Amino acid sequence: MARRKVKAKQGGAPGGSRGEAAPKLDVDSRAEVLYADDEPSAFASMLGGLIEANVRSNAGKERDFDSLKARVGIWVTDIDEGVTLDFKGGHLVVHNGLKPRRKLTIRTDADTVMSLSNLKIGLFGLPVYYDEVGRGVAFKLLQGKLKIEGLLPNITTLNTVTRIFSVQ
Amino acid sequence: MAVKAFSNEWAKAFKDEVNKSSVYKTAGKGWKWTVGLVVEAEPANHFPEAKGIVMDLFDGEARDIKVGAASDAQKCDFVITAPYTRWKEVATNQLDATKGMLQGKLKLKGDLPTIVRYTKASQEMTLCTTRIPVEWPDEK
Repeated sequence: MARRKVKAKQGGAPGGSRGEAAPKLDVDSRAEVLYADDEPSAFASMLGGLIEANVRSNAGKERDFDSLKARVGIWVTDIDEGVTLDFKGGHLVVHNGLKPRRKLTIRTDADTVMSLSNLKIGLFGLPVYYDEVGRGVAFKLLQGKLKIEGLLPNITTLNTVTRIFSVQ
Repeated sequence: MAVKAFSNEWAKAFKDEVNKSSVYKTAGKGWKWTVGLVVEAEPANHFPEAKGIVMDLFDGEARDIKVGAASDAQKCDFVITAPYTRWKEVATNQLDATKGMLQGKLKLKGDLPTIVRYTKASQEMTLCTTRIPVEWPDEK
């Protein structure tokens, strides 16, 4: 079953939901990032680690992380691997592969995943799409090389996820 | 002229390639950490002992690149580890380093946000390795 703590905090273990087994936590910590699988994929570990580090180092990202409740899938088309990020308002469970009931699913190549995490955040907490990285992401979207399922009804969620995900 | 893989001559050629790259000079601006590459041994491929490549990179410049023991590379701020064959795939453009890391083919240790912020610089460094003619021990 799942493993891994992230940030030592007071509080209990988040329970599993939707019929899935509850991820286990390290003793004396309330995990912020948990892994649903015994052996998280390299991609799952990398995304979980990236989000963990971002949230730890930035109060604004931590606020976003604490408020976000959504299941987001990311599928990397050129390595044929994906993850589901299950944000549960203060903690995150990372699953290998795509799980059902996702609000948003991002499908793109590895380079664009890296670009998404390099998007700058501008005024009003909105991702910047007019600099070099942003234009590249927007162009991929127009070309259909970046597909975001569930985008229109969940644009606020996408912006929040982008802020948490961004290293800029 | 081809240089022996992961030899001192290779390290020098790699450093020269990095310092010739205007892309790296721009993308690596602000970088101030050491990077260690651990090349794990593969005796079956005539690479009998692990080697470490220690890269002193600073602000878009390769100040020094040395080949030594794997333990030296493991002390760096960022460490990327893979067996000989994987590194050969990277250096011959058969494996994209970003994909390799996402797939766990190259194992990364270090602060993830920093390395992600410098994705373009690391991609250019990978390209620099592909420009060096190399004599591979398993192809002799």
